[in-house]
Amino acid sequence: MKEKNMGKKLLSLLQANSVPVTFVLICAVCIPLSGLSVSYLLNEIVTRMGRNIFLILALLIPIMSGMGLNFGMTLGAMAGEIALIFVSDWQIWGIPGVVLAMILSIPISVLLGAFCGKILNMAKGREMITSYIISFFTNGLYQLVVLYMMGPIIPIKHFSIKLPRGYGIRNTVSLLNMRQCLDNLLAIKVGGVKIPVLTFLIIALLCLFIVWFRRTKLGQDMRAVGQDMNVARDAGINVERTRIISIVMSTVLAGFGMVIYLQNMGNIATYSSHSQIGMFCIAALLVGGASVEKASIGNVFLGVVLFHTMFIVAPKAGAAITGDSMIGEYFRVFVSYAVITVALIMYETKKRKVKSQMAQQLAQEQEAENE
Amino acid sequence: MNKTRMLLFRLGTLAILVAIAAVMMVVGRGHTVYLDNKKLEYQGQEYKTPYKVVVLVKGEQVAKLYDRERGSATNVGQNFEMTLEITQEKGGDETVATYQIKLPYNMDGVIINLPGYLAGLPEEAYLTEFVSTAPEEPEAEEEIPESDEFEMGEF
Repeated sequence: MKEKNMGKKLLSLLQANSVPVTFVLICAVCIPLSGLSVSYLLNEIVTRMGRNIFLILALLIPIMSGMGLNFGMTLGAMAGEIALIFVSDWQIWGIPGVVLAMILSIPISVLLGAFCGKILNMAKGREMITSYIISFFTNGLYQLVVLYMMGPIIPIKHFSIKLPRGYGIRNTVSLLNMRQCLDNLLAIKVGGVKIPVLTFLIIALLCLFIVWFRRTKLGQDMRAVGQDMNVARDAGINVERTRIISIVMSTVLAGFGMVIYLQNMGNIATYSSHSQIGMFCIAALLVGGASVEKASIGNVFLGVVLFHTMFIVAPKAGAAITGDSMIGEYFRVFVSYAVITVALIMYETKKRKVKSQMAQQLAQEQEAENE
Repeated sequence: MNKTRMLLFRLGTLAILVAIAAVMMVVGRGHTVYLDNKKLEYQGQEYKTPYKVVVLVKGEQVAKLYDRERGSATNVGQNFEMTLEITQEKGGDETVATYQIKLPYNMDGVIINLPGYLAGLPEEAYLTEFVSTAPEEPEAEEEIPESDEFEMGEF
């Protein structure tokens, strides 16, 4: 009997963590096939952790307030990019440049976040698809600003940033003077692996902030709204305002995260850096075992490690298995989208299951009353 | 929290952010400093170049300049400190001295004429803005991107 219970528990544990378990298996198969050295792999994973974790943490707050996976974090990423373009044009280098870019991104992120939050309030229950479409719409606005308004309307001084035609921003803006300035300051090497201590400290601060924020009045309100909007409203919580604040916070954090991400990369791909960022951050979070309605800091860390290990080893493993590295490339693209699709299907299935269970229970209760 | 306190808190936060941004704009302003070891004529007088000047910035050698040579260094902020190891004549003694120069905020590139600076001339004589005179190659028009693709870039 005990053994049966244990087996059931193990099965349910595996079912609950099916995505991370699958990724552990994929990594376990692909790592030896890739032939990459342990120190190279660790270096890459640590670098990518420093680069991406802040961005992914930005997704936690909307999940807490029941708004699901915030595809609209792209808006914050755009704000971060615009801020970095200005900082690059004003020739502010190093850490001051990073700090200034973060500060400059705040008003843009707040505006975009408030706009996104207002629209999401009009589309309750369909937040994810709405935020996804908003990100496309805002990308159009971003292109209008960056391609046509920067130069003639918004002053841009340096020709190294402007397109040869005299207005608009080049496809790539160099951030050479602030490249990895956060990562290199206080960096230490442990067994040949570079640890960007300052970046990890910033990430740790954000984690502490999230833990603290959950316990504040606003954090509790967000959780209440996430659990049941009607109950929260009856309890006197301004549901709409709380939801807007959660999206604004997520967008601002995404803006900061994008600045950290791009200082690590050392350049801005002006028209494409932000376009897939939301997708990959969400995929990484889901790989870590998060769902549309529940995510934790642990999911973020586990997700980044697993998702990026797969990202690093897949092309080499693909080349080793099939002789063509493109197979590995296709595989990682396929997996990124597949994991999001599976998570959304699981969420919807679970929701319907709960709904039908409740309906059945209600019917049984009514039957019992009639009898 | 009452409304006045909330407003004050918000204004205070805004003021702090603006102040930090202003400080960052000053302390983080980057300059490229070009150091010329070229003879200078100023008010009818000629200032000759030393035989050799070794320039060190933050303990690192950035240039070793003979006559009519140019070196460069980067500097963040407006205070540029350099150590010069000057040899006036070939085979002569080397003198070492540290100098601090205030760089103008509005100049990205600054040219400092070392003979003029070492002679103690006013700033207008030894300091000029660097303007690129290299012939610009005709650049190919960059393609304006389309961004609704589903490609996988570096992540």
